[in-house]
Amino acid sequence: MQQEDGDLAVAGLTKEFVSEAGRLTILNGVGLKMRRGEALAVTGPSGSGKSTLLYILGMLDRPTSGSVRLLGEDPFARTDAQLAGFRNAKIGFVFQDHHLLPQCDVLENVLIPALAGAGAGAAESQRAMQLLERVGLKNRVTHRPAQLSGGERQRVAVCRALINQPALFLADEPTGNLDRSNAEAVGDLLLELNQTHQTLLVCVTHSAELAARFPRRAELVDGRLVDR
Amino acid sequence: MTHFRLLLRNLLYHARTNTAVVLGVIAATAVITGALIVGDSVRGSLREMSLERLQKIDDVLIAPRFVREDLARELAAQPVFKERFDTAAPALMLSAPFVAEHGGISRRAGGVQIFGGDERLWQLINIKPPYLTGDEMAINERLAERLRVHAGDDVSLLIEVPSAIPRESLLGKREGDFREIQFKIKAVLPDDSGSARLTLNPTQQLPLNAFVPLGKLQRSVDLARVERSRRNPQGSEAQINALFVSAKSPRDQTGASAPEAARSLSDELSGLLVPADLGLRIAVDSPRGYVSVESEQQILDSDMAAAVTESAKRLGLTTSPVLVYLANELTNVNDPKKFSMYSVVAGLDPVTATNPPFGPFVWASPVPSHPLGPDEIVLNDWIAQDLAAKPNDDVRLRYHIIGSHGELPEVEHTFRVAGILKLEGPAADPGLVPVVKGITDAKTINDWKQPFPMKLDRVTPRDDRYWDEHRATPKSFVSLETAQKLWGSRFGSLTSVRVASKAGQTVEQTAADMRRELLKSLKPAQTHLQFQPVKYTGVQAAAGSNDFSELFLGFSFFLILAATFLIGLIFRLGIERRGTTIGLLAAVGFTPRRLRWLFLEEGLILVAVGGLLGTVVAVGFAELMVYGLTHWWTQAVGTQSLSVFIVPSTLAMGFVFSAIVTALAVLWGLRQLKALSPRELLSGATEPAISAVRQRRRSRRSLAIGTALLVLAGVLLLGVLTGRLQGEAFEGLSWGVVLFFLDGVIILVGGVMLIAGLLDGEHSAAVRGHGLTGLARLGVRNTARQRQRSTASVSLVAAATFVIVAVAAGRRNPAAEAPDKNSGNGGFRLVAESSEPILPDLNTSAGRTALGMKLKPGSPDETLIKDSRFFAFRVKPGEDASCLNIYQTRLPTILGVPKSFIERGGFRFIGRSEPNPWTLLEQTEPDGSIPVIGDANTLQYSLHKEVGTTIAVPDEEHPQHTLKIVGMLDGSVFQGVLLMSDDNFRKAYPNVEGYKYFLIESPGSAAEADHLSDVLETQLTQFGFDAERVSDRLANFLAVQNTYLSTFQTLGGLGLLLGTLGLATVMVRNVLERRKELALLNALGLRPSGLAWLVLVETAVLLLCGLATGTIAAFVAMVPHLASTGADVPWGSLALILAVVFFVGMLGALLASIEAARTRILEALRSE
Repeated sequence: MQQEDGDLAVAGLTKEFVSEAGRLTILNGVGLKMRRGEALAVTGPSGSGKSTLLYILGMLDRPTSGSVRLLGEDPFARTDAQLAGFRNAKIGFVFQDHHLLPQCDVLENVLIPALAGAGAGAAESQRAMQLLERVGLKNRVTHRPAQLSGGERQRVAVCRALINQPALFLADEPTGNLDRSNAEAVGDLLLELNQTHQTLLVCVTHSAELAARFPRRAELVDGRLVDR
Repeated sequence: MTHFRLLLRNLLYHARTNTAVVLGVIAATAVITGALIVGDSVRGSLREMSLERLQKIDDVLIAPRFVREDLARELAAQPVFKERFDTAAPALMLSAPFVAEHGGISRRAGGVQIFGGDERLWQLINIKPPYLTGDEMAINERLAERLRVHAGDDVSLLIEVPSAIPRESLLGKREGDFREIQFKIKAVLPDDSGSARLTLNPTQQLPLNAFVPLGKLQRSVDLARVERSRRNPQGSEAQINALFVSAKSPRDQTGASAPEAARSLSDELSGLLVPADLGLRIAVDSPRGYVSVESEQQILDSDMAAAVTESAKRLGLTTSPVLVYLANELTNVNDPKKFSMYSVVAGLDPVTATNPPFGPFVWASPVPSHPLGPDEIVLNDWIAQDLAAKPNDDVRLRYHIIGSHGELPEVEHTFRVAGILKLEGPAADPGLVPVVKGITDAKTINDWKQPFPMKLDRVTPRDDRYWDEHRATPKSFVSLETAQKLWGSRFGSLTSVRVASKAGQTVEQTAADMRRELLKSLKPAQTHLQFQPVKYTGVQAAAGSNDFSELFLGFSFFLILAATFLIGLIFRLGIERRGTTIGLLAAVGFTPRRLRWLFLEEGLILVAVGGLLGTVVAVGFAELMVYGLTHWWTQAVGTQSLSVFIVPSTLAMGFVFSAIVTALAVLWGLRQLKALSPRELLSGATEPAISAVRQRRRSRRSLAIGTALLVLAGVLLLGVLTGRLQGEAFEGLSWGVVLFFLDGVIILVGGVMLIAGLLDGEHSAAVRGHGLTGLARLGVRNTARQRQRSTASVSLVAAATFVIVAVAAGRRNPAAEAPDKNSGNGGFRLVAESSEPILPDLNTSAGRTALGMKLKPGSPDETLIKDSRFFAFRVKPGEDASCLNIYQTRLPTILGVPKSFIERGGFRFIGRSEPNPWTLLEQTEPDGSIPVIGDANTLQYSLHKEVGTTIAVPDEEHPQHTLKIVGMLDGSVFQGVLLMSDDNFRKAYPNVEGYKYFLIESPGSAAEADHLSDVLETQLTQFGFDAERVSDRLANFLAVQNTYLSTFQTLGGLGLLLGTLGLATVMVRNVLERRKELALLNALGLRPSGLAWLVLVETAVLLLCGLATGTIAAFVAMVPHLASTGADVPWGSLALILAVVFFVGMLGALLASIEAARTRILEALRSE
């Protein structure tokens, strides 16, 4: 069910840091509305606050002011523990560094969010296998991260982000550490899965090539999000 | 994927870090559980020693007087005995000095315990046949070593023939009757045999023991059986003073029923006693129709006199108590030429004694109208005529009193003659005077074998004639009250209680009735013939005066702390390494609680595994500690007979305790999970982000607090040094001592705060200079990189160094201390003890002569003794409650403090502001308790008492006296004893005679004191006089304390080492975290050796900061002690510990720097 003002509604979002030189405003009244199935690429120069925005959208950081509503809910009204549960159920992350657990194999890494949530049972394992099959890693399920290439690792990270069928799919420089062909493949994968799973996809990237493939693009300029 | 699977993956993947944590847990568990095992081992070993030293002896009767040897046989024949007990062995236990001549050198050993026994005793203490016969003797190894003798050698012992008459009574022998007896050593008993260790007091110290045939010992001291003969119509039975009994059931041996078993033995024995066993005589005077109950010691003690009177009362018999005394001279005051020598005066009022058979008296003068007053006397007509005295004349009576050192000053008392009796009827009764061998049976006064000087030249023919006709029949009478006031003593105030026969009953029947009734009525507590369940009490005492578990936990405190710190640190470092993983888990929805729980579970598994392994290692650690106690720190326990005892419940307790401690360390390691946000964790942060403003503020705050504390320390120092802060703070500690220590602690905390502030502060121009200096500057700067880690490492090293240096600096050597009246030596040079009581006063030439000392007049030896001042103390032997005894003690030896000593004062008291706290001993307590003073170590650690508390004597069950602690001495030579005033002592222990403990003031040098000691020991050999320097005895006591300090220093040093390993771990971790940075420096052209130098400087700075802060603070804290003459800092071992710590720390840094130098540039600079 779609919300009237968007499945993701961000309004007046600001984030300030206090430093020696005084207050430093990173985000200055960011506003954003998105509906399921939409994919947004956020670009901007280094230090413009792209990652900060992403972490706030991903409930890993709290804003100084403003509101974020996901599927009509205000997650920041929750306690840290409730927030973790919300994040587990509604949000999927892909980072520049894949952050796979080196001690776990591919399948186990994909199942980690399930473990944090309702549990990693047979259904979750089956879904993980489907995701891995989709990203072409069906035959690598028992491999450890160290046995995978950079692109393969990032694909595992994408599967992990989607295992709990999140509403919001956040990617922070997902191709930053990949070569051109792997970067393209991961970009394709993100957009395809966004459509398949009808998620809200927000991708922060420096890559103009990747951003160009997104139907909706915005740039962070002086702490504000400007549609391009 | 399951939770458990994730846990398992984590454990296995991080095996190296986890192994390090497990090793830390093993170390902590081993130390904690090991300490508990040491406690069990000491307790178990003491228990074993109790069982070993007593062998089959379970109950012992030590009689205060000699009793019949046949009592053993009679007791063993009782059905009750046969039911519960096995053997009753009679024994004679005496103490005597031994002398052995070997190659012209004479060696002495005082205070040897001689056991005279027969095969019954030998079987009980496991001495194997063939048994000792004739003049054969077995001695223990310790005595053999002291005398340097072997089997087949001869030894002689100087033994005093016991006398029933108190030494400090008029008729007692003051000098003692010593006999030298030769024995041949048949066997030397090894120290690990039970008999060699036989002693009835709970102590782990080896006694000096000798075993001889009972018959030979009895014959040597006139206690053997004497057959009836014409000369000795009574004869006498063989006598003993100890009975050893073995019980059948373990419950009666060491179990709950042991005290009751001992009571049943005492009750059985009571039924077998005869008057002789109580030192009583029941003399029958058939013609006069009464029996007279008298004492072998010539004076009936108060308890016995009361028991006799009560028994007679129950039988409906009339009694007449009497006290007779010897008057040296009776003189007519009006005509001093009229006098009579050596007559008996009776405390018996002839005016009131009107009923037969004790009266009526026949008067030669008018009968006085009233009972005799305090200054009235009645003479018989013989002495009245002799003195030409008539009623209302004054007569002067001269008599001896007994001084505190047995001297016999003569005093006089003038009486008014109240009447004159005819020397007939009751007045002519020689039975009023108890039989005194050598006096009452002498033919003439000249033949008396009296122990006091007599003016025989003044004995007149008339005196001789009276003696010839009437013997000791009293010539004069005073009231009993007057006699008791003038001549009563602590031994009693009656010489006999006469009991009249009933009408129609023969005197013999009365005597039999009295005998039966008296023996029936006397309880063991009154006769003092009580069996003690020695094995039971020995086992109880094995609980120990100090809990060695606690002691070793204390000693190992820093070891445990360091291990715990290391566990927390390694665990924390492990978690820091997994920061991004944690961040990821948080990002995908793991709640903070679940994350903490996941890592806590991981930590707890490590704790459990480490704990189990550590429990096994703990046994080895305990073995090592027990080895240390029996080889390196022997003075702490005074024995080498300790072995390891493993109690399963202790292992379980150690495991649980260690698990709690190490789990807390894990929790501490997890603490930062809370402080870091998932974003910070994902970015690889290990400490919470802090703004520069906050960091600067924190730095300023730390610097301000640190500086303020150091200024405060300076102000306090100034206050102490300028004398503004003086006097006693508390517990005997001066403000100076307290403030210096406080100053040390403030410097420690202030120093660490300053370092923390500096680490937080701005470091301008850190990149400056060139070469090693420039790199060193950068290395110093790097210490601030991980501020929390650096501060924690410096704090631990500083605190551990502080404690170790302060403890080491606290060592004392009293041998270096000069005599000081207000110190632990009280200003005395020598302390001496004698195995036999010494009565005469060593301060007087008369006393020295009486002791048989042969000193050439004017000789240096005589001058040395004359210039010295002797203070003699009476001794009631008890348990050794000094720190040299690790058994739990209840009633220590008690010393009677002479008046002269109380007036002299001296020594250092805790918490007393009176000018002379010794006078507290003379105060009267409202509750009737007896004030006593003790050494703080004895009171606090052995007896667990404090000022104001009481001790029931001899035990809680049958308290006869209550001792109240009124003062506490600080580090005195009186460790292990309690002190009460001589006046109170004589009342509490009337039967303890003479002096056996001496403190000697000697103005000369230490060498002269040593010579004085030699002279005294030689001249007083027969008394087993053994003198040593007070400083040596204090050093002996302090050796225990110093050994504890050494133990603490060793274990604390290990802890410091472990802490240093923690620091090294931090350094290795820092290097690993900074591989990229180091690789970059390498890429920029810095050589590997330069990288190593960088890391080494960083470590050295942190180590030196910690070591210097701790050392400076410790030395400031210990300034008052270091300034004292007795300070004995073990500089060598202290420097060694600190050097090893620095070396190990730098070794860790070296490993880290090698790792730094090996860093490959490209690999490290890559992200992955």
